[in-house]
Amino acid sequence: MFSGLAITGQTVAFFVIALFVIACGVMLLSMKKVIYMALSIGGVFIGCAAVYLMLEAEFLAFIQVLLYAGAITIMMLFAIMLTKHDEIEKPEPITAHPVWAAIGAAGFGLVILWVVKFSGIKWPQATPDSPFQGQDNVKLIGEALFNQYVIPFELVSVVLIVALVGAITLANKEEKN
Amino acid sequence: MADFFSWVDKPLDGMAFLNMVIGAVIVLAFILGVVTYTIYFERKVIGWMQWRIGPNRVGPLGLLQSIADVLKLLIKEDIVPAKADRNIFLIAPILAFFPSFMVLAVIPFSATHIFTAASNVGVLYYIALSAMTIIGVVLGGWASNNKYSLIGGMRSAAQMISYEVPLAMSMLGVILLAGSLNLVKIVEAQQAFPYVWYVVPQILGFIIFIISATAELNRTPFDLPEAESELVAGYFTEYSGFRFAFYMLAEYVYVFAMSALGTTMYFGGWSGPFLPGWLWFAIKVSCFIFFFFWVRATMPRIRTDQLLTFAWKVLIPLSVVNLVATAVLKYLLK
Repeated sequence: MFSGLAITGQTVAFFVIALFVIACGVMLLSMKKVIYMALSIGGVFIGCAAVYLMLEAEFLAFIQVLLYAGAITIMMLFAIMLTKHDEIEKPEPITAHPVWAAIGAAGFGLVILWVVKFSGIKWPQATPDSPFQGQDNVKLIGEALFNQYVIPFELVSVVLIVALVGAITLANKEEKN
Repeated sequence: MADFFSWVDKPLDGMAFLNMVIGAVIVLAFILGVVTYTIYFERKVIGWMQWRIGPNRVGPLGLLQSIADVLKLLIKEDIVPAKADRNIFLIAPILAFFPSFMVLAVIPFSATHIFTAASNVGVLYYIALSAMTIIGVVLGGWASNNKYSLIGGMRSAAQMISYEVPLAMSMLGVILLAGSLNLVKIVEAQQAFPYVWYVVPQILGFIIFIISATAELNRTPFDLPEAESELVAGYFTEYSGFRFAFYMLAEYVYVFAMSALGTTMYFGGWSGPFLPGWLWFAIKVSCFIFFFFWVRATMPRIRTDQLLTFAWKVLIPLSVVNLVATAVLKYLLK
């Protein structure tokens, strides 16, 4: 299955990172305390950022760390700490559900493996003459966002502002009641 | 030697990895030394400002005082409160410490930066990783299961998140002028044509930066998370021994890192006449650190509500004004 895979620093790093992400994902699902779950999802975010770094998308990687691992994890921790509920999930009754879930997940994994390895699709590979190599991707992202995609970008920021104001309005109403 | 340690343009193989590890260990040892003497320097300076002598018993001039303190903390019992959430209590100080050390990877200490990366997203890297310390602080406060710790942790999260916004936005002015997020390029841009450090054109940005930096570092007058008159010791009330030392270490490494960042962004980093680059860098960073101590000895603590209102209603609008003005001026003067 891994024939033709050269063992370089990059592949070793990739497998270590992948293992870390999967371990954090499994911990997220298996932990009983909500706060441990929030912490393990932080680990998943950081692992994803490391994968982006390996793909030479530094800007995206550190935006991921800033927004997901930093801001969103802290928001979740805040929400968990400020709301009052029993911190431990109740043990679920044993059903056939996990069996079906495992079969589904394994099937999905096989489909992905087939698409990547055996379907014969030609995936684009980085070659020495691919465009944009070794260029500052901060600059490229900035130029793309503010020249070609400036209208969608502004629309997205309007949507975000509307969401923000909406959330404040809703919170205010609840406070008055 | 310099070539041996420059892994920037090399493929990631065993040798490059070994070099990275050696470089990281050297920087760690260096930073531990700097932190030890920063603490000594702080106690001496504040003693001098308050008409006291400061530490003078251990070693000549008290020079070994901090080392004795660290040794004491390391051999102290590591107490975990019975009602605390044990696992999180144990890992929270580590979570708070490791980003503080990681941010040093992008700081250009000298003109031939051999141990640090010339990353093209240096500023973003600093901001992103320093945000992760908040997780360690909040979790430490929560896991202690102590009302003072919890309030301290909450306060510190609110404060650090609020002040991160003006901190990042004030630095956007510098990024606009230099046209890069790379800290090395920012220093080089200050050496080039108008030959002026960015503190001059970005004076408003610098004032916002230094206020937000003081708040981000949880230092007086913004040391509400550990206000000893209200909260015992804030989020690390329950900590003792080397886990307490980890929190203190993270705090002082950030003092150094923030000073180094300010030096690089606003005072031309290693550049300067006559003296070698690393010495200029050390002088400028020392001035920054001295400034933080001076503020601590001078200012009283302010109230939480005033603190957050100040960030959201004064500093953020000002930094937006600074950003827009910088952009317009840069466009007009081009």
